[in-house]
Amino acid sequence: MDLKEIKELVQVVIDSGVAELEVTRGDSKVRIRRQAEAPRQEIVIPAQPFAVAGQPAAAPAPNPGPPAAPAQSPEAEKPRQEENLHFVKSPIVGTFYEAPAPDAEPFVQVGDHISPGQVLCIIESMKLMNEIEAEVSGTIVARLVENGKPVEYGQALFSVRPD
Amino acid sequence: MFRKVLIANRGEIALRVICACKELGIPTVAVYSEADRNSLHVRFADEAVCIGPAKSSRSYLDFPAIISAAELTNADAIHPGYGFLSENAEFSEVCQASGIQFIGPPPDVTRLMGFKQHAREAMQKAGVPILPGSGGILKNAGEARETAAGIGYPVILKAAAGGGGRGMRIVREASEMEGAFSQAQQEAEAAFSRPDLYLEKFITAPRHIEFQVLADSHGHVEVFGERECSIQRRHQKLIEEAPSPAVTPELRRQISERLRRALHEVGYVNAGTVEFLMDETGRLYFIEVNARIQVEHPVTELITGADLVKAQIQVAAGMKLSEILDGPVEIRGHALECRINAEDPDTLMPSPGRITGFHVPGFIGVRVDTAAYQEGVIPPYYDSLVAKLITHGRDRAEAVSRMNRALEMFIIEGVRTSIPLHQRILAHPDFLAGRLDTHFLERLEAATRTAQ
Repeated sequence: MDLKEIKELVQVVIDSGVAELEVTRGDSKVRIRRQAEAPRQEIVIPAQPFAVAGQPAAAPAPNPGPPAAPAQSPEAEKPRQEENLHFVKSPIVGTFYEAPAPDAEPFVQVGDHISPGQVLCIIESMKLMNEIEAEVSGTIVARLVENGKPVEYGQALFSVRPD
Repeated sequence: MFRKVLIANRGEIALRVICACKELGIPTVAVYSEADRNSLHVRFADEAVCIGPAKSSRSYLDFPAIISAAELTNADAIHPGYGFLSENAEFSEVCQASGIQFIGPPPDVTRLMGFKQHAREAMQKAGVPILPGSGGILKNAGEARETAAGIGYPVILKAAAGGGGRGMRIVREASEMEGAFSQAQQEAEAAFSRPDLYLEKFITAPRHIEFQVLADSHGHVEVFGERECSIQRRHQKLIEEAPSPAVTPELRRQISERLRRALHEVGYVNAGTVEFLMDETGRLYFIEVNARIQVEHPVTELITGADLVKAQIQVAAGMKLSEILDGPVEIRGHALECRINAEDPDTLMPSPGRITGFHVPGFIGVRVDTAAYQEGVIPPYYDSLVAKLITHGRDRAEAVSRMNRALEMFIIEGVRTSIPLHQRILAHPDFLAGRLDTHFLERLEAATRTAQ
């Protein structure tokens, strides 16, 4: 693979929004990973008498980092500056679907009023479709996950302004 | 080779598997509970998926959460570590059904090893010595006496229906049998509603000796020598070493040969540990097989030069032992491991919390396997292991001397640790002389209490 081909692959990654691309051709292999957008969490340690920059023992606490494959962590989506927003969080690991079927209308839209027990979305896990129900009464402020994207436990799916 | 490995575990063993994968060039996926969000295994894996709340049953033991995470990330293999789901045959089957390779023995072998009686029979057929016993329920004290005469005293009568020390009687000579038998029967009836008793050889001061095995999926089995794990408290190991001061090269050779045959017969694949008790005369008796990689595997790695975790992955990917190992197993020098736990040295209660000061010892002959770090937190939900401190030397004395030096130079502040206890054990003349048995720690703690 020559430099020109690699540059083209880099452009493909940028243009398509794909998070990570790996191409193997014969003996050569190239992996291009997009830099994560969420801010690195750094904890500052007060200077130690014998600390030397770069030594692992004095390094800041590790950043768990947002996962590369599952959808963006809650921090990446800045919630509106409203107080008391309720976040509907995923109770399981799986794939988020906004509608009961591929061609059907979404369960809820931004602006809809919801009541406890109302189905908001489906999370598919190991071929089982799990209906996720609202626990509060309120109005949908935002949908935080794209249709068909993977979600992890505790990931915010919707923000709701409770009644 | 695998496209991607998901590690269904946490803490130091998750990091250990990540190390092996990095060296093999395999991308990794970490799964974590909310309590482990800032863990090192999450930091160092290529991807990470939160699978549940802190409670193990809803995270690290949750099949659907783990399998979902593997499907979402396209992982084609799962390494279960130790504990958690590592010996769960059902989980291994679910992996198989989902098209994911479980890095361990096949489900039916895991299941077989889990049924103690079947494992004993399999071993016995291949000539591996098992703990002699009545084999079944004793009809009466007369039969008990006959059986005991055949085995040799002391023996122990045990309730068939229970445990926990009830319905048990140690019998040291034939004249005690009548009385002990009826007492044990009465206790068993009262505690478990069944008076049935069986009988086993009783070893007064047993040594815990275990052999490390590795088998490929082509029928080849290798044995990597033994470990001694007699320093334990309530069946929790504190110090392990390899080789055992009590095993002669001839005994090692003999047992290894029998184990190779036995494990080949049962179709064992991947890593495992075969546990024995050694009696006062130096004879070994089979107890059980642990069908997983164990906490103390590093001491075996240091004396043989083998990378057991990497080998597990290679075996699971179908490689032959002849491709994985570069020659017959050779034992060089001696290794020791101290399990450093976050616990109060006086009350022995776990001491979870934030580590405020952390300096790991190093230099020649010292290895530290840990997921702890400064400002890191030891959560209260899982085990209290902070670090495994492992040393290697040209002989036992050097390994011990390096361990003493390393324990002294290991700084862990913010939580209480078992380091002072390890130092006391290592200073004890019986330990230094290799005079060990599973009651060692009891005696040491009793002596400490008397002295106070």
